[in-house]
Amino acid sequence: MLARSCLRSTRAVGAVRNGAVNTSKRAASTSSSEAASPFRLNMAGSAATAVAIGSMAWYYHLYGTELHAMTPTEEGLHPTKYPWEHAAWTKTFDHQALRRGFQVYQEVCSSCHSLSRIPYRSLVGVTHTVDEAKAMAEENEYDSEPNDEGEIEKRPGKLSDYLPSPYKNDEAARAANNGALPPDLSLIVKARHGGCDYIFSLLTGYPEEPPPGVKLPDGLNFNPYFPGTGIAMARVLYNDLVEYEDGTPASTSQMAKDVVEFLNWSAEPEMDQRKKMGLKVLAITSLLTALSIWVKRYKWSPIKTRKIVYVPPKMGGRPNGH
Amino acid sequence: MGIFDTFTDMLEAALPWGEARAEAAEAEEKDDEKDSGEDSKEEESKDDEPEEEEEEDEPETEDPKEKFEEECKESKQCSPAKHHFDECVERVTGADEGKPVDKKHPNEDCVEEFFHLAHCANQCAAPKLWAALK
Ligand code: HEC
Repeated sequence: MLARSCLRSTRAVGAVRNGAVNTSKRAASTSSSEAASPFRLNMAGSAATAVAIGSMAWYYHLYGTELHAMTPTEEGLHPTKYPWEHAAWTKTFDHQALRRGFQVYQEVCSSCHSLSRIPYRSLVGVTHTVDEAKAMAEENEYDSEPNDEGEIEKRPGKLSDYLPSPYKNDEAARAANNGALPPDLSLIVKARHGGCDYIFSLLTGYPEEPPPGVKLPDGLNFNPYFPGTGIAMARVLYNDLVEYEDGTPASTSQMAKDVVEFLNWSAEPEMDQRKKMGLKVLAITSLLTALSIWVKRYKWSPIKTRKIVYVPPKMGGRPNGH
Repeated sequence: MGIFDTFTDMLEAALPWGEARAEAAEAEEKDDEKDSGEDSKEEESKDDEPEEEEEEDEPETEDPKEKFEEECKESKQCSPAKHHFDECVERVTGADEGKPVDKKHPNEDCVEEFFHLAHCANQCAAPKLWAALK
């Protein structure tokens, strides 16, 4: 090893010597000792490298760091991830929780928020029985078809009617809420970053008092999770605000959890079916894969088991020598 | 759709396990019939029930989220965040009471410190809370 590297180095020296001879031949007028100085030789390369590194550093300095146009306050506190049971791949909604959540919506939220995409019929078999849903629908009045005189009379609700909205229109809703529009909650879980976690945190996240130094305009309440931290909705959930028919202790966070799960259902009522369908797809695809492997084996078996035999031709009429 | 439904319906009719129904369970009526047929023992025990309920003073529900988060704020995990928050509270409320104001940040608030503390407490309380809630 050592001997070989020694050999190589003598060869390298020879090459350098040859090079030196060549350059001195070519530039006969300049002194040949300058070209040999290692500083001169490496200067251009070093300078170029320094410029390259410098320009990269400058670029990073100018464009590299992330810009934040918003302060943390404007961004709002990011909600914590909660281990929602129904979010798991193989889990359905807890329908007992949905029923409790509907109760919370009905008794608390429905005085300000509409849930306009949910008809009574879709509650059937999800949170309520047919008879319960019918009874609830009948508690409200809806416009009927024009009668013979063209008057529109009121009729009691039916299963096909949608949940009534608390206000006639958005303007009325704004007027009643200090200028802030309580959004429709049907799709709110899909409409907010953080989904369930965000709404749960929002509902349970009102601190007893805002941190010192915070100045909010009149009519706004401090909530760390709402971007900007000033929200027009005051805290609505308090312990024991509703009485659950299944005896679950109605703490603030229990009510919030239930109503959020219910709102998740209202935004994604197909979720249970979707997961069931997903599992069906997996089961059927795996069945078909297995089947196709066996069929392939079956179809290929003659090809895989065939034997190619070479029988040499008989030689020019002579009998085989056996 | 139609054919598929027919098959599933037939299958479900044949399968032994039950199916969720939208209609109200009919069990209640049967219970009533039973009750009327049975001895007065049951009725006696039923009479007792309301009294018991009255005696039980329903304890105020307390919010597990608040409880766990308070505990978490005091925990070692969150002590740096709590320390910064407390310091900020002192600084800002002190400024309100006539102490020398930090000239660089005359309108300081403690929102960021609050965020960090709340984030830490939430993170620590989340699994405990979910274990406690139904
Ligand atoms: C007193 C009326 C009132 C009640 C009751 C009420 N809200 Fe609100 N809610 C509002 C108003 C007003 C806003 C708009 C806030 C804003 O834009 O600053 C709002 C906003 C919201 C938002 C949207 C926040 C966002 O990110 O834009 C959600 C979600 C919400 N409410 C959920 C609920 C739930 C769930 C309940 C029932 C537990 C409820 N609210 C009860 C008035 C109410």
